[in-house]
Amino acid sequence: MSRRTIVASLAVLGLALAIAALAGLGTGTGTAAPHAKQLSGTVSLSGWQSSPVEDNLLRQVIKAFQKKYPKIKVSYTALGGDYDATMLAKFAARKPPDVFYVNGHVFPVWVPQGVLASLSPYIKKYHFSTKPFFPRLLSGFKYKGQTYGFPKDWGPLAMFVNTDMLKKAGAKTPTTWATLRSTAQKLKSSNAVPGGTPICLSDDWARVFAFVYQNGYKGGILRSNSIMSSKVKAAANYYVGLWKSGLAKRPQDIGASWNGDGFMKGKCAIAFEGPWLVPPLKDVPSIHYKIAALPKGKTRGNLAFTVSYSIAKDSKHKALAWTLLTYLTGRAGMKKWTSLGLSLPSRKDVKPVSRLSTFTKAAGYSHVWQGGPKFNDVITAANNELSAVAEGKESVNSMLSKIRSAAKSAGQ
Amino acid sequence: MRSWAWGSERIREALVGYAFILVPMGVFLLFFIFPIGYAVYISRYNWGILGKIDFVGWGNYRTLFHDPIFWRAVKNTAMFSVAVVILEVTLGLALAVIVNQTLRFRTFYRAGFYFPSIASSAAITAIAIYILSADGLLNSFLGLFGYDTNRPWFYDSGTALWSLVGLNGWATSGTIMLFYLAALQAIPVEVYEAAAIDGARTWRTFWKVTFPLLRPAHFFVLVVAVIGALQMFDQAFLVAGPEGGPNYSTLTVVLYLYNKAIANAEFGYAAAVGVMLFVGIFAITVIQRLLFGRPEVA
Repeated sequence: MSRRTIVASLAVLGLALAIAALAGLGTGTGTAAPHAKQLSGTVSLSGWQSSPVEDNLLRQVIKAFQKKYPKIKVSYTALGGDYDATMLAKFAARKPPDVFYVNGHVFPVWVPQGVLASLSPYIKKYHFSTKPFFPRLLSGFKYKGQTYGFPKDWGPLAMFVNTDMLKKAGAKTPTTWATLRSTAQKLKSSNAVPGGTPICLSDDWARVFAFVYQNGYKGGILRSNSIMSSKVKAAANYYVGLWKSGLAKRPQDIGASWNGDGFMKGKCAIAFEGPWLVPPLKDVPSIHYKIAALPKGKTRGNLAFTVSYSIAKDSKHKALAWTLLTYLTGRAGMKKWTSLGLSLPSRKDVKPVSRLSTFTKAAGYSHVWQGGPKFNDVITAANNELSAVAEGKESVNSMLSKIRSAAKSAGQ
Repeated sequence: MRSWAWGSERIREALVGYAFILVPMGVFLLFFIFPIGYAVYISRYNWGILGKIDFVGWGNYRTLFHDPIFWRAVKNTAMFSVAVVILEVTLGLALAVIVNQTLRFRTFYRAGFYFPSIASSAAITAIAIYILSADGLLNSFLGLFGYDTNRPWFYDSGTALWSLVGLNGWATSGTIMLFYLAALQAIPVEVYEAAAIDGARTWRTFWKVTFPLLRPAHFFVLVVAVIGALQMFDQAFLVAGPEGGPNYSTLTVVLYLYNKAIANAEFGYAAAVGVMLFVGIFAITVIQRLLFGRPEVA
């Protein structure tokens, strides 16, 4: 290359940069990078997929994106197997995908390690409005005042009720802790669930804590300073009491792999699960059911399981990544993504499919299932202790004090 | 003219020998020895996703020694290993002796007994989960004998680890059988003939002739079995997930290492767990070597 061509190339490059900078100063549309239409290149996207239907749906959303931005090519890979392990290897190799899923409870592990790019400068630069996101969900992806992801969707818990069994028992859908017990009692005495149990109740703190919040608890999830409080204790006692009085069984005790499995096999009349149970229930037309809000304790309480779209700090195509991210979590993208009712929109301005409307009502009182960077240690301890309680080998008090020490050594 | 620089014929031969093993040795050093050294290095740091965060000296090891969950995992792994090694070696030896006889369909039995060892561990575990579930085949079978139970064998803290022992012992017995079978066939027929002439019966022949002559095989089989058992991960993970429940009953050392590395991104700490496991396995292998001597015959 001669010196003249180098000078000429530099001049062209300089001009291009200047144009790009000027375009960047233009007024924001509030959806994406203002110069997004001029951007071109390839942006990589990764996540996990729980079903071929879901995979296909995301491909359709990507197709719609490429129609809008024909110059941007999206290279999408669903990472099978152990998503977190695969992503850690990609981060460590400094070759992560540009845009990817981050599970809400994994976010506190990844963000302090400096692998996620802060979105705050882009939000500011492009006047991107985060107001449509449910604030509780968005706050799950904030760290030290910066935003590191937008929730792509979410799911709270609800009460799945087998209507045939309820009719057989002559009971109504329970709405409170007291009526949950009395309904379960009726189901039991009328033998409305032959070979099963009134309630499928897993030994899982990701279910117990919904009851904890229903009991008026206001703190964080599995925190050492509040786990021994009377509100947690009473909620745990209520939950454990359902097993002890024979009104509920763990799914493994009735030959099921999870609550939803027990419900689909007709082995329980009531199960507390999320919107993920709706698609598989379609394949079991013999089960007639309805979705109701979780029973109310002193107040309403629920958990939110959410996943974000985030950008890698090592991404070399941040502008493209931002364009894709804001499309996927934008109104049009999210509308398409949630159109089949596989998940709930995390934006207020996108309506969920009608059969999921019960879930959306929980947005105001759901707490993101999330803890500190060593949350996993605490969950592991908490669930192991809970299984000991379920087997009658430990008391609720002793369980809570062991969880407290696990939470303490995990620094939360 | 002979090149004097190559020295004697012996040196030349040695050089050719080394040249032959250069590539496999390189692979061995790069993928086995180097990672072990690197793991020791990492274990002295607070090591995150993107590399070192700060130097902690022996801090990770100190924390590890006071970590009750780690010791629970060590206890589980030890109990599992002792039980599974006894089971798989006994079963493997018994099967080897059986299929070493002149039976009808001998090849069929050999293939059949070996099958679980080549089948996918995940597939076998998935089937075992069904069989051992609360309303599974095993409980129905026990019901036939009047023992009514709906115990979820894998999900009851009293039986979970022992169910894993059963599953793993059965699945690995085929490989052990194969090792013993090879060793059995190396025993000369004359020895048995001599025993028969001396009037030794089957049982006595086995204990006095066959068993002692299998000594080199015992050493090899025990070393392989113990190392495999101490590294238990896949079946425990598939059955109970990373939490090692219920009530920590299926938490093994490698499962614990996995939790620390993948779920917490605490690679330094996880490396310390790995180094401890390595030291443990190494020590046990040395002890076995002292007890059983050198493997004289391959």
